Amino acid sequence: MNQAVWAACFVLFAAGLSLLVFRRELLAMLLGLELMVNAANIGVVYGASLAGDASGLSAALLIIAVAAAEAVIGLSLILRVYQSGRSPESDALKELHG
Amino acid sequence: MVHAAILLAGVVAVVFAVLMATQKSLYACAVCLLAVLLQTAAIFYFLGAPLVAFLQVMIYAGAVMVLVVVTIMAAPAENARAVNKPSAPWLLAVLGVLAPLGEAAWALSRGEFSQGVGWGASAAQMQVGAVLFGPYAVATEAVGFLIFLSALAVIDLNRSRP
Repeated sequence: MNQAVWAACFVLFAAGLSLLVFRRELLAMLLGLELMVNAANIGVVYGASLAGDASGLSAALLIIAVAAAEAVIGLSLILRVYQSGRSPESDALKELHG
Repeated sequence: MVHAAILLAGVVAVVFAVLMATQKSLYACAVCLLAVLLQTAAIFYFLGAPLVAFLQVMIYAGAVMVLVVVTIMAAPAENARAVNKPSAPWLLAVLGVLAPLGEAAWALSRGEFSQGVGWGASAAQMQVGAVLFGPYAVATEAVGFLIFLSALAVIDLNRSRP
């Protein structure tokens, strides 16, 4: 059971990392990042559940909130890139000014 | 029984994560991510943390996924690649919805699932509020301020410029 949960966390994290590294579309990279945060959160909740620790569950709630804020910022930036008419691939974005 | 349910949810989550990493279509990616998020919520529930599972469904599988779908809809057509391959996302969507529904039916048919595998997970969950506004008060306020700043940033980013 213990190994199975950690193995699932590892595979989810690896899948997210592969999306982040190997895909060029910004949105796919952001989805991979969300998958990685989700995998880490499973580990946090599993550890907190085994130890009966309220701090771990609180940390999981804070992680969800931070991940939601990060997703909103990232999606807004991607929408801005779409509106500017530039290619939504990471290779094409080489300048930071608007 | 709880261990079997967690293993089942974990296996389904892993399958959809691997599918997500191999899909080209952004719609298919989003549907697979939705399935993974729902399976994660099921894992949280079976671990004895239904509050975290509820927030996972509300925030992640609800709000964030709506934003993701809206962003995909705003994407250029050649980037979304959804028009050319409509069958795979539909199949994935059906599987992704059926899996958590089956797990929920299985969980409701048996009463012992709500206790979870942790020794004191349910008791710890009652102390979450006290921890968030006790020793973690600064972190909680910082996260609230971060969300406020992200709202301001979204408003500024989507403001039309001359």
